Amino acid sequence: MLGASTKGRVDWALVLAASGLIVTGTIAVLSASSHIPGYHGVLQRHFLALAFGIVLFLFGFGFKYQIFQDQSRIIYALVLAVMVGVLFAGTVRRGHRSWFEFSLISFQPMEFARIGVILTLASFLDRRGRRITELSTVGAALALVGAVMVLILIQPDFASALTFFPVLIAMLFCAGASMEHLAVLVGYGAVAIAFPLAYVLCQVHFPDAGPGTLARMVMETGRLGWTTAAVLMGIAAAVAAVWWVAVMMRVRPRSGYFIAGAAILIAGLLSGIMVNRQLKGYQRNRFVAFLAPETDIQGASYNVHQSVIAIGSGGLWGKGLFSGTQSRLGFLPERHTDFVYAVIGEEMGFVGALGVLALYLTMIWRLIETARLSRDRYGSLVAGGLASMFALHLALNAGMCLGVVPVAGIPLPLVSYGGSSLAVTMWALGIANNIYSHRYSFL
Amino acid sequence: MINGRSSRVGPLQDRISLLWMAIYLCGAGLGARLVHLQVVQRAEYALAAERNRTQIIYQAAPRGRFYDRDGVVLATNEPAFSLIYLPPKGSTAQGLASLAEEIAKHLDADRKGLQEKLQQAMREETAVRLAENLPTRAMFRLSELKTLYPGIDLVVEARRRYPFGRFASHLLGYMGRMDQHSWGQFKARGYRIDSRIGKMGLERVFEFELRGKDGGIVMEVDAQGRLKGILERIPWQPGSNIHLTLDAAVQKAADEGLRSSLTGRGAAAALDPRTGAILAMSSAPDFDPNDFLSSDPDLVKRTAAELPEFNRAIAGAYAPGSAFKVVVGAAGLNEGRFTTSDAVYCPGHTEIGGRVFLCWEAKGHRTMTWFPGLTNSCDVYFYRMGLRTGGALIERYAGMFGLGAKTNVALKWEKKGNLFGPRAKGARAWYDGDTANLAIGQGELLVTPMQMAVLAAAMASRGVVWRPHFTSRIEYTGGRPEYKQMPEQVGTVALKESTWRDLHEAMRLVVSSGTGRTAIIPGLEVYGKTGTSQNPGKDHAWFVSFAARPGEVPSVAVAVLVENGEHGGSAAGPIARSMMMAAFGMADPQAKASPLPAGMEVPHNLRAEPPARLATRRP
Repeated sequence: MLGASTKGRVDWALVLAASGLIVTGTIAVLSASSHIPGYHGVLQRHFLALAFGIVLFLFGFGFKYQIFQDQSRIIYALVLAVMVGVLFAGTVRRGHRSWFEFSLISFQPMEFARIGVILTLASFLDRRGRRITELSTVGAALALVGAVMVLILIQPDFASALTFFPVLIAMLFCAGASMEHLAVLVGYGAVAIAFPLAYVLCQVHFPDAGPGTLARMVMETGRLGWTTAAVLMGIAAAVAAVWWVAVMMRVRPRSGYFIAGAAILIAGLLSGIMVNRQLKGYQRNRFVAFLAPETDIQGASYNVHQSVIAIGSGGLWGKGLFSGTQSRLGFLPERHTDFVYAVIGEEMGFVGALGVLALYLTMIWRLIETARLSRDRYGSLVAGGLASMFALHLALNAGMCLGVVPVAGIPLPLVSYGGSSLAVTMWALGIANNIYSHRYSFL
Repeated sequence: MINGRSSRVGPLQDRISLLWMAIYLCGAGLGARLVHLQVVQRAEYALAAERNRTQIIYQAAPRGRFYDRDGVVLATNEPAFSLIYLPPKGSTAQGLASLAEEIAKHLDADRKGLQEKLQQAMREETAVRLAENLPTRAMFRLSELKTLYPGIDLVVEARRRYPFGRFASHLLGYMGRMDQHSWGQFKARGYRIDSRIGKMGLERVFEFELRGKDGGIVMEVDAQGRLKGILERIPWQPGSNIHLTLDAAVQKAADEGLRSSLTGRGAAAALDPRTGAILAMSSAPDFDPNDFLSSDPDLVKRTAAELPEFNRAIAGAYAPGSAFKVVVGAAGLNEGRFTTSDAVYCPGHTEIGGRVFLCWEAKGHRTMTWFPGLTNSCDVYFYRMGLRTGGALIERYAGMFGLGAKTNVALKWEKKGNLFGPRAKGARAWYDGDTANLAIGQGELLVTPMQMAVLAAAMASRGVVWRPHFTSRIEYTGGRPEYKQMPEQVGTVALKESTWRDLHEAMRLVVSSGTGRTAIIPGLEVYGKTGTSQNPGKDHAWFVSFAARPGEVPSVAVAVLVENGEHGGSAAGPIARSMMMAAFGMADPQAKASPLPAGMEVPHNLRAEPPARLATRRP
């Protein structure tokens, strides 16, 4: 804290935005959970987590944030430890082995892993600052995050694991990784996600496509048989052919592009096939619900349908607190956790929903500013990583409630009910504020 | 430039700006979606949310009542319990199957049909009526199911009830389910697929007047379909009451008389000759309209299968037989073709155009003039007088009395019969034999009982031909002024005063000393004419008559037909007699209309108005 200016020590805009989100979220949770059994338990846990979160905020804010960089190995070890531990000692909730349960409280270690990975990755990328454009740096970063993702996939929590990948790309981007490497990563991710989508799409729209059709080929490819091999060979041959044509036309392209291109396509396709085979029935149904919502209103797309009705029926001013019929009467599923944004939309109307959106963007904007103003690269990367994580959660959660993104059980941090998420998120905000407050200090 | 410069230590400002722009665009996209949902499509989704949470159970409103001319209730309503099902969210086909089985056990109903209904309700997310008019015992057992199966409920509704049961059934009609055709027709008028409609008679004619506005219970239900509370009770609005000109006592006499007649098949109609108001209209065999509303599905099915839809009073066409002789007399006497003193010798038969025509009295009537001729219904006298009058004239007079044309009574399927004569026969040759046949009401001449009642009323009123009517007034609900039916005269038979005197005197003699002695009523002047119309089976029996208190104008005119009753006097006469007695309020134990049966108190919540006056007899 040497030389730190007391002026502007606390980022009040960030604190106010976060407080506004917590207050709105608390009201929405109070309303949404008032008709479910165990209401008092929910409230107790929520306020306990809130108190705990304030302590954690101060913890994140109190020390000089470089301590987290210094101890990044310990943090990463802790992350791996809890993620491995939960696979053995954890309890299963909603199909995922993802909870530590103690007699009084329970804790979801993945929430800690979210922040822990950002801290560790920022530290790693900072140290590799001069070699950031090298492939080995990107590979190592991928391995660092990939290890945690794999542990989450084992739980198995498909959607949560996927959220780490965009954050990785965003942080690499902020750290200055080469655009070619980023393009490879984005391309790989896109192909890996696109294949299961294409598969489901073909399944829904052309369930009995005959041999020789594209749809049939996509579905055959998904079965990891001769067709798969043929398709992979075909991709390699096509890339080689393009290369050959380019050489013939004396364009002299860089051979690396073509090798990378073929690698992306093949690795992405293989990952996509694996993902597709790993998809559980309900996850596949979520894809179906998103890609073809008209097929089954009562089944898979029921949740999103009800959420959209809830938000739409809220109108400009909402139906009033505790008066949302969609949430009160149970039409809205998961209404105090994943779909809490729909409750806000229904009961507080356009004003409330837009307000939450604005507060969220304000918070992200302050994190981006922190990243810009940070006096060191580590702080900047941490703030940038947090900003991209919040943005991703906002897009996935609010997008799901609004019916523009497929359903994934991703909560809206600070707003959704969930003690672990709330407390850990407040710790992260404490760190961000810490970075902000030290923007002018020089060790 | 993206890879390059940085003004500070650490990463690249441009890349952070790009990241922020991307995030900001995502946020703007979400905001745009919010505007779309919450501002642009607000109303649409508000409606969807409202549909989600509300279920309406409709309650059939009480139908307008029918009263007779003295305020006796002929059709009313009573509360009935219906079993309804509100499909809860997340019900399974298996759960429905066990529910269907359970209900079927208590109702003795078809399990498969119930299950189909339940499944349909689940698919369409609407409430269905599983059973109506539950018997009390089944109701108690079913109310226990409410706790076991969410979605099951019992509601009270108004059900049509006919207090007299088998009474004026062809006239009042019955209530039934809509078929596909009528559903298409009634949908726009606010009917629901399970609404009942009037299927016959006046229930059908006055369907829209009688029908009230259904009420309902608007309930809030949660996603599981459990009732959370009642949002609103929409009160029902009873239908318009219709006051008929019918006289319950006369109707009762007609119904019971026909039912216990020789064959149990026939028809009767009674008019007030002063107004054309219908006092009774009956057709046998008849039915009990309550059976269509029974909670026993087998009874409903059986009743529908055996329904005697044929209303003989307006749709049955029969030869009038000797009852037609009054028309021959009216034509011949009025036109001076013969006089009351012109005599004919009846040896029991006569020869016309080379063919022998028999009198019903094989021994013969000896010398006959007008009065004994009609009193004894001597066929030979009327063959001869008919020939003197001529077929064309008889045809014209028959038409004047309204025969061969619809009476235009407001019921469906009325027949116009067949007026027969040289004109109707047209270009084909008309022989004397045809005239002779026509003169005794045989041949191709066909009339309905209602037409004969109009004829009797015209005789009684000295020539006024009415369009018969049922309604005296309609009390509209909802402030529309009352409708009052006015008498409607459609024709006049202008005869000389002496002709009327001769006709009336002869018809009085028929009853007092002739073939119609079965209709004598002490204290009244009864006029009549019997008829026995030949047809392939046994003869049909007719009796056409009217009656008056001494010194007053006639106030009731009656036509009775008993199919295959053989003799007008013996089969049809007593029925006409008890109808006329009832019309004059005379004690006749067998033909007394009973008030509401004991214990048949009209339930309080179905009273749309103060309880109707019970039958009060006119002096």
